[in-house]
Amino acid sequence: MAFDEQSVIDFVTRQRWYGAKSRAVAHSEVLESVELRTTEPRFTLELVELRYETGAHDIYQLVHGEEEIDGLDDPAAARELVHAMRSGLTLQGSEGSVEFRRVEGFAGLGRELAEARSVGAEQSNTSLVFDDELILKVFRRLEPGINPELEMLRFLTEHGFANIAALGGWYAYSGGPMSATLGILQQYVSDGLDGWELALQEIADDPEQFLTRLRRLGEVTGEMHTILGSDLSDPCFCPETPSVESLGLLTATVDEEIESVFLALPEDDDRLEPILGRGEEVREQLRLLTHSGSIGKAIRTHGDYHLGQTLFSDGDWVILDFEGEPARAVVDRRRKRSPLRDVAGMLRSFAYAAIAAELERSTPAPEGWEEQAREQFLEGYLDTVDTSLLPSGGIAIDRLLAVFELEKAVYELRYELDNRPEWVRIPVAGIQRLIEQAATI
Amino acid sequence: MSEQWFERDPLWFKHAVFYEIHIRGFFDGNDDGSGDFRGLIDKLDYLQWLGVDCIWLLPMYRSPLRDGGYDIADFFEIHPDYGTVDDFREFVDQAHQRGMRVIADLVMNHTSADHPWFQESRSDPTGPRGDWYVWSDSDEPYSEARIIFLDTEASNWTFDPLRGQYYWHRFFSHQPDLNYDNPEVQEAMLNVLRFWLDLGIDGFRLDAVPYLYEREGTNGENLPETHEYLKRVRAEIDSRYPDRVLLAEANQWPEDVVEYFGDGDECHMAFHFPVMPRMFMSLRREDATPMYEILERTPPIPDSAQWGLFLRNHDELTLEMVTDEERDYMYEEYAKDPRMKLNLGIRRRLAPLLDGGRDEIELMHAILFSLPGSPVLYYGDEIGMGDNVYLGDRDGVRTPMQWTGDRNAGFSRADWAQLYLQPLMDPVYGYQAVNVEAQLRTPTSLLRWMHRFIALRKEHPVFGLGTYEPLRAENTKIFAHIRRWEEDIVLCVHNLARSAQAVELDLSEYAGMVPEEMLGRTRFPAIGELPYLLTLAPRGFFWFQLKATES
Repeated sequence: MAFDEQSVIDFVTRQRWYGAKSRAVAHSEVLESVELRTTEPRFTLELVELRYETGAHDIYQLVHGEEEIDGLDDPAAARELVHAMRSGLTLQGSEGSVEFRRVEGFAGLGRELAEARSVGAEQSNTSLVFDDELILKVFRRLEPGINPELEMLRFLTEHGFANIAALGGWYAYSGGPMSATLGILQQYVSDGLDGWELALQEIADDPEQFLTRLRRLGEVTGEMHTILGSDLSDPCFCPETPSVESLGLLTATVDEEIESVFLALPEDDDRLEPILGRGEEVREQLRLLTHSGSIGKAIRTHGDYHLGQTLFSDGDWVILDFEGEPARAVVDRRRKRSPLRDVAGMLRSFAYAAIAAELERSTPAPEGWEEQAREQFLEGYLDTVDTSLLPSGGIAIDRLLAVFELEKAVYELRYELDNRPEWVRIPVAGIQRLIEQAATI
Repeated sequence: MSEQWFERDPLWFKHAVFYEIHIRGFFDGNDDGSGDFRGLIDKLDYLQWLGVDCIWLLPMYRSPLRDGGYDIADFFEIHPDYGTVDDFREFVDQAHQRGMRVIADLVMNHTSADHPWFQESRSDPTGPRGDWYVWSDSDEPYSEARIIFLDTEASNWTFDPLRGQYYWHRFFSHQPDLNYDNPEVQEAMLNVLRFWLDLGIDGFRLDAVPYLYEREGTNGENLPETHEYLKRVRAEIDSRYPDRVLLAEANQWPEDVVEYFGDGDECHMAFHFPVMPRMFMSLRREDATPMYEILERTPPIPDSAQWGLFLRNHDELTLEMVTDEERDYMYEEYAKDPRMKLNLGIRRRLAPLLDGGRDEIELMHAILFSLPGSPVLYYGDEIGMGDNVYLGDRDGVRTPMQWTGDRNAGFSRADWAQLYLQPLMDPVYGYQAVNVEAQLRTPTSLLRWMHRFIALRKEHPVFGLGTYEPLRAENTKIFAHIRRWEEDIVLCVHNLARSAQAVELDLSEYAGMVPEEMLGRTRFPAIGELPYLLTLAPRGFFWFQLKATES
């Protein structure tokens, strides 16, 4: 059935995944309509364009039910999408077609789906879990081009990287209005323990144990980067040599960020004391770190790498969420970058875990734990990573890593000051550490 | 579908920063001594970092290069030195992926004499292209049209011995004008536009656009027929190619240039030529009057249109749109060496024109960025590159981009002798002193300042979209004005003098508001009923955002 324009606008703009909250919607238009199920209960997949008063527009995916503007809450609708993948359907619309695809050999697709529940609605998608075995992620606000998560999962699957939740299938639209990934089906790791949770738990119960796990996480990360930089025949993944000024551009960007963050630091906050008035010192350290040296190769990376993006399951790590930073545009998330950016992200999350253990579990990490965590992770990483992807020599690696960590810590400082004042001490300690350590590398 | 990289924004060009690139001089991607599209792709990260929204390419078409590529011999081919159409497509795609758009020069008025159309026209007067150019048995017609390239051309007519007739050319004699009275020519040029638009290009800078038609008894500039044809081009773009832009190069007085906007149904943008020499004049004379006057003389333009503003470009600093007296003054002040003059202009880059003065360079950019319009930067000026007045024609301002202090300025790995032009090596502006690499690493460099300043302008759409309200003070050394858009009110005050100045501004309209300096976010005393007193450093400037007290 058709729904009137205003009720569609009202519905979409109410959703958590609606991305343009501050904008006035001028009108909406159905760009494409594909019959997903023609017998009762009927479902129709629609691409709906919302046009804003500024002239800009967004395209959203809706799955109409018989009565509902969006029926994805109904397990029957979600099941229909999975069935279509299983059968490898191609459904024609008026402007293009929706292709449903399955990954050969993926066991989870072979059986009937009984139970479905929706899990935490995220900013840009709706996710449903079937029988604690499969997870279907339906993208709402559509972005043109292949979704980076799908692209990464396919690449890693095809190249034999085992530490991911296996990809089961996907569906995508291609046609006049746009070409875009619409949804992804993956194995649901039900017995996995979130890496961040595990860290907090084991920092309290068995910190030594966690250090050995981190060594393994380093190895897994190194393997992941090696594989991501291994295929010279695929232009989307082939490692690249960054242009000569890339280190200069990075330095300038980080330097300006430091300058502007320090310019705005409140002077009456005790937690900032270790770094207060030391902005110029930080910038000087950055200059020393980038005075010479190279940036290594640029490859596709995880893009938003920290403990919260990992699961520990069945004695090994599973790496999750290859979407990249959600705030960035898809093209930007697909850009190749130094793998050390991922490493820096993970090292920063150890700093967070050490303090969070104290703040949230009232069990401070043992003296020197963060330092050991870094060492374990880096040892594991450097054992397995293809070092030709990194700057040449240990000193150059340390320096570039320090630059990326500084970049992250400065970003964290800004974020925590605005959002979580009690966490401010984490980036403060990180920056302080980098000021003091940088002089030695 | 390259437009997919962008949100639809039909007015993107109103708040964009443009960057003009001479492809040959930017970066050599295949080590042959000449810049090319592969090289340009390599440098897109730099341009993205700098904050460029739209790249404007000088002509890239096949050409004998007797006029820097403005003599096009094939509208559908890329000059082999620059690459192929596929390279171009890849470049546009890569630029789009980084959020940058691309426009290119297009010469509609004329072709190269080498163009097959012209060769056919001269050898077969009754053939299909016999009427595609403007032919005459005598050199008498259209005698009221001025000669533009005074230094090289004696007449707008040149005799062709093969056809036994004269052909019309407003520029060099090797650039015959197309005959737009012929409907086939009109259609042929539309096909050229469609070809590149289909490849994803975001628009054109229309070179030498006032001269498309000739009519007896007129000066052959800005004729109604020309406007009519441009409206046809615009209608074609509006119907099939959303979010593209036509930027007119019409070196004319503002009241004539505004005609190129039509009623919002002709060109989206046009360069404001006359404001530029007056900025330099105001600076030398320490007097804001010439600037206030030319802006006063600038008629309002449609809401959907925008001025293109620049300090310098690939041509000479043109002095066509000034009085004779003003021209003499400009020559006197800015072209002491006669070699620096070309036609009616001065062939120098920004930094040498300002004697390398950092304060002056910053001040001129501040004024440029504060004016209603979209700024167009010229490659190399962001690092303060110099020029070489000993090179012929306009080559002196088209030397290789200075990337590093290494061999060939990091521009090319070819042999030194093989370079299309050698990079500057003089001790002040040479590549060892002035280059991107060093300036990126130096927080106080001009490049780093430009980067921050571009970011500041882009943070405030008021500069692209807002009103312009002059704020003339008794102290004529001060150029001050208000920009206003929705809730955003910005006060810009520039000191043109070499000495410190005080100025009293009548801001009573804004009494109770607090000026916040925009670069450092420092709050100044609140505005009262009395004149607001400001003191400015030599060649200094302030940009303030006027804020309501409670915020």
